[in-house]
Amino acid sequence: MDTSTVNIILDIIHYLFFAFAFCVISSYVVLSIISAKETIEYRKKNSFVNYKDILSSTMSPTITIIAPAYNESLNIVENVRSLLSNHYVNYDVVIVNDGSKDDSLEKLIAAFDLEKIDYVINEKIKTQPLRKGVYKSKNPAFEKLMIVDKENGGKADALNLGLNISKSKYVACIDVDCLLLEDALQKMIKPFLEETETKVIATGGVIRIANSCVIKGGKLIEVNLPKNLLVQAQILEYLRTFLLGRMAWSRLNGLLVISGAFGIFDKKIAIEVGGYDTQTVGEDMEIIVRMRRYMEEKGEKYKVSYIPDPLCWTEAPSSYKIFISQRNRWTRGTIETLKKHRKIGFNYKYGIFGLISYPYWLIFERLAPIIEVIGIIYFVVLIILKQVRWEYALSFLLLSYLFSILFSIVALYSEELTFHQYKKKGTGIKLVLLSALEPIILHPVILYSAIRGNIDYYFNKNKKWGEMVRTGLGNSES
Amino acid sequence: MTTYQYLIDYFSELPILIKLIGGLIVISVILIVGLTIYLKGIRRYQRNKKEEILKFKSEYEVLLIEYLYAEDHEAIKEEQNSFCEWVNKLELQPAISEEKTEEKAITPVQQAIISKLEKEVLIKSKRKIIISILYKLMDEVSGEMSVAIKELYCKTGLVNYALSRVEDKDWSIKAKSIGELSRFEIKEAHYEIVKSIAHPRKEVRKEAHLYLVNLFRFDGLYFLNELKTPLSEWDQIQILEILQKFEDQQICDIKPWLKSTNDTVVLFALKLAQIYNQYEINDTLIDLLSHNNKTVRIYAIEVLTHLYGLEAKDMLKANFNELSLEEQLGFFTMLEKLVIPSDEPFIEKHLFHKDFEIQLLALKILKSINIDKYIGLNNLPGDEKSEAMLKLENTF
Repeated sequence: MDTSTVNIILDIIHYLFFAFAFCVISSYVVLSIISAKETIEYRKKNSFVNYKDILSSTMSPTITIIAPAYNESLNIVENVRSLLSNHYVNYDVVIVNDGSKDDSLEKLIAAFDLEKIDYVINEKIKTQPLRKGVYKSKNPAFEKLMIVDKENGGKADALNLGLNISKSKYVACIDVDCLLLEDALQKMIKPFLEETETKVIATGGVIRIANSCVIKGGKLIEVNLPKNLLVQAQILEYLRTFLLGRMAWSRLNGLLVISGAFGIFDKKIAIEVGGYDTQTVGEDMEIIVRMRRYMEEKGEKYKVSYIPDPLCWTEAPSSYKIFISQRNRWTRGTIETLKKHRKIGFNYKYGIFGLISYPYWLIFERLAPIIEVIGIIYFVVLIILKQVRWEYALSFLLLSYLFSILFSIVALYSEELTFHQYKKKGTGIKLVLLSALEPIILHPVILYSAIRGNIDYYFNKNKKWGEMVRTGLGNSES
Repeated sequence: MTTYQYLIDYFSELPILIKLIGGLIVISVILIVGLTIYLKGIRRYQRNKKEEILKFKSEYEVLLIEYLYAEDHEAIKEEQNSFCEWVNKLELQPAISEEKTEEKAITPVQQAIISKLEKEVLIKSKRKIIISILYKLMDEVSGEMSVAIKELYCKTGLVNYALSRVEDKDWSIKAKSIGELSRFEIKEAHYEIVKSIAHPRKEVRKEAHLYLVNLFRFDGLYFLNELKTPLSEWDQIQILEILQKFEDQQICDIKPWLKSTNDTVVLFALKLAQIYNQYEINDTLIDLLSHNNKTVRIYAIEVLTHLYGLEAKDMLKANFNELSLEEQLGFFTMLEKLVIPSDEPFIEKHLFHKDFEIQLLALKILKSINIDKYIGLNNLPGDEKSEAMLKLENTF
């Protein structure tokens, strides 16, 4: 190849990278604008809503909270107490003890005065069998509680058993260690009840980080910014994701994922599609994609809704090891889901879902880390070949860095003008400084985790969930 | 100066793309600095505002509680509040009319408080705080106290602000003001609010519906007669909750709504029939078993079950195979409550229904009418048992 051909190839590669970066930045700008519109609309719509009637009404629909638990002995009793303190009237709580090897069940039996009952389960979705059986409390104060002890089958399997056992019209699938605010259910159920033309199949909620927050008796007392830099950076990341990203996708009716930590589903549809997929580590994303696909193929008007209020608080990983493991799993989950439902991608028959949501996830979530790493390698090669035009390289690098700071600050604005959770003096400036640090301290780790996720997906098929150690809400000092 | 000139020269010699990026970098830096300062300002403003609100709240709370508890038996009784005048003007009898006519006269202390608040409500932020406290107090008190709050709401002029906003072009302001007028039971706005029953925004429609029901109880439900837009589950629940709060539970004729062409109105009427035990409308309910909308049919079965609609049982039994699975399930739930020994052959026929829930219900019903036959099922060979029988094996 002569020099001119090499130069043409290099130019083409440059333009491809430039086009990709331009598309990423443009998509973020567009999503921010859409999310601003949606946030304003949401705030307007909900500024005068009276939730009290729905709270006390016996005509309100029934909801089952399904919370799978595996080796959660440390905080299980407190967590269940917190779930039982919701203000909604028509709800019950099903804790699925997924073959825990610790003394979770014994602790629950003692704390809630449980006794074994005969219970016939309609196995609409195949699950692992029961181990010790089904328990209910002898104490009427805990009549809403049911504990199911089963053989270990993973989170998806435990949720499927919850779907089988639930008698309610709606199910709230949550992580047992999450802290749900008392008004969470009535706010989350609202989209299902107020839509008349479109069927709401699921509603997702914002997940907030509870590390260092003061929690007493299962209630959130004070919101604090953690000292741990990794957790702080995740707070910023969550704000961007939930307040800018998902809010916009909700407006477009293009949400592909509802966090596994907290979401409410139309049980009938969830069962009709076969429940959670036990073969993926990204079961939360997969079920939404499958439900949407089902509705699209049925030709019914439907919606996946989203509530931006801070209703669910969870503990974020405070060590790099756990964080990498979590993000690795998320990457594998995304790959598995997109691969499984590749028929949808760029398929006009699926409307926005096939033409916008799927391609966006494929290009900007699934492929982005790979493209980024290729870019870095390519850049290193150019340095070695002394082909770098530094004025261009540095200008682009600086611009993209400044854009990422700007985008984070916009997310902080959104938070300040809406839910304003981090009220303490000095927190605002800390978060702004964090916006400058986050691309350096968090992004490289996310990139590394995503690449590890890709490698594990293709070369380490046996890898499943990975480690997730929790210190418990209210105990974390990060 | 030389360095500055060097930089200018350097920049002017750069390629156009770099110049463009340079410009974007400068804009980004300005935006970041500007937004950071502004963010700091916003946070400070919010903190100060919060403190101010807290201060005003505690101040006004004391004032309003003082107003509510101020009693002066020597007070002049000639003053009548505007509520009574409105009540007399209107054709419909409001839910509050009786309690209003027995209203107490205003004491000098109360008058002083009203005068103070009249000045305060001129400021929008303070007006909002006062309204929020009044809302809170309305939730906490009842009877004479709540009448006094409503009276205060009118006398301080707050009502005029809400009335002026009912015609606002912004739907959220309109809806909010209707909600406020509903909360303080301002009947004067009735004719204006009625226009919003068919408003294009569902939020405004909902507030208008709630206003009518809150003020005129069952009479306020007249809007259902002409309702073309759907009445959401959320609205239905709220309306039902309001209706159930009233002492007088004398319900109006719901038959026309059961025959409505608007399916959501029919579903709402079915809920009314269930809550208010409308036994006399069973014939109309039976007609609904052949309604075009499956949800209506299923709910009609549920209501008939609640109302012991025995006439429906035979009809459903005769058409059982034509029913959808949900309706069949609904019918078996009905049988669970209304079963008689002569239903046994029908039950036996469906012990092996394709649906597990129906199998289970059939077994349960059989157990209640013929325990020997139920126990006898245990002797069936394993491969002849239904899924439900196998699951229940241990409980035979």
